[in-house]
Amino acid sequence: MIEFRNASVVAASSDAVLLAPTTLALSERRVSVIGANGSGKSTLVRLVNGLAMPTTGSVLVNGRDTRRQASSVRHDVGFLFTDPSSQLIMPTAIEDVALSLRRTIRDKGARTTAALTALDEIGLAGHSHVSVHSLSGGQRQLLALAGVLAVNPSILVADEPTTLLDLRWRAHVDALLDALPVQVIEVTHDLDAAERADRTLFLDGGKVVFDGKPSRAVALYRDLMSSRAEGRADA
Amino acid sequence: MLDAFGVYHPRRTPLHLLPPWVKLIGLALSAVAIFILRGPTWTLVGLVASLAVLASTLPPPRPTLRGLWPIALLTVLMGGYQWFRGDRAGAAEFAADFLAVACLALALTTSTRLDDAVSLLSRAFRPLRHRISPDSVGLVFALTARAIPEITTILGDSADAARARGLAKSPQATLVPAAVRTFGWALGVGEAITARGLADDPEPDSDGETPEDTRGNVEYPRRRPA
Repeated sequence: MIEFRNASVVAASSDAVLLAPTTLALSERRVSVIGANGSGKSTLVRLVNGLAMPTTGSVLVNGRDTRRQASSVRHDVGFLFTDPSSQLIMPTAIEDVALSLRRTIRDKGARTTAALTALDEIGLAGHSHVSVHSLSGGQRQLLALAGVLAVNPSILVADEPTTLLDLRWRAHVDALLDALPVQVIEVTHDLDAAERADRTLFLDGGKVVFDGKPSRAVALYRDLMSSRAEGRADA
Repeated sequence: MLDAFGVYHPRRTPLHLLPPWVKLIGLALSAVAIFILRGPTWTLVGLVASLAVLASTLPPPRPTLRGLWPIALLTVLMGGYQWFRGDRAGAAEFAADFLAVACLALALTTSTRLDDAVSLLSRAFRPLRHRISPDSVGLVFALTARAIPEITTILGDSADAARARGLAKSPQATLVPAAVRTFGWALGVGEAITARGLADDPEPDSDGETPEDTRGNVEYPRRRPA
């Protein structure tokens, strides 16, 4: 369960409101977050694992305050970035997944076995000793996902995880995310993926302007974007 | 594939078979010896021996030779500065010594799994755990090793972009975007490290146990959201 209690974010340098005070409780298994670039989607989801802190209010994950218990919240919340290249640290796939497990499994043999299992679960076992540089973009995103899932988070936050992928890898990553037995909060520009969620948050100008049924949220988003495009064309 | 520069390559050479701690101590002692033993003979012996040690690890030739260029350039710049200051004999000696130590460091990274090196450093710093997080020391080492191919790639991409804009002769057109991208990459990595919880100290749960205590070396079933 993720709770936003009047949480807002104001940029320290410019006083710009990145996220207006927001109160939400997210318990659905799949939540999609949609909106135009700069609408506050990433800011909202970064609050969930303590990557960003609310300027006012608070965010609670499974009853834990992200400000006071950031470390244990991160233990519960995995985060998948758009570009996996900054998420991958070690030179080979198995070493990178093992790095995630270093804090929880001290024994090297057990760690390697667990890392191999995590790679196997997402279909990368055959690439375990391959340099991360020689993996394709889709394989790198899968590897980043394996590193996140290896520590068994109960929530996965994915910030546009398929934006840089081709159609084949996009479908593959989407299918994997859909099948995960954890709560998934996904920021996406892929409206088909957004519609498959149980609930959709539509953000605009740093505010949640719609919260509810995915098909309705997507329709509203399309309408708003169309009207803005027409307005720009008229100008 | 410059990305392969300085990265571990599985081989069965004598250096690959040595324990990481032996190699690390060997590198430290050799580096000290190279800089302490003065004179052209010792300098030449140090450089040739270091090149031989590097060659004995059988690194992939093309990326290694291409990757050595920036190091050679840095060597020339530093040696050139000393030459400019009037110390001609010292300049040549310093440049050769620097290159020798760089070759030994490369021999270490190409023959040692990064995971093993990180574990070794974490173990070595465990006695100081009340002052420095041993895992953080290992992570810093891993990041340093990760940064080498990344920055090299960024420099290559920036040079290509400068050429595409017809600015091949402008160092600014390459270096400024490369610096900005490197900074952006570093920020992204920092964020990812935070998100992965790699920078966190284990935090006691409500029952007073750390995650390590409760999870141990067993696999856990996937949890479902409440």
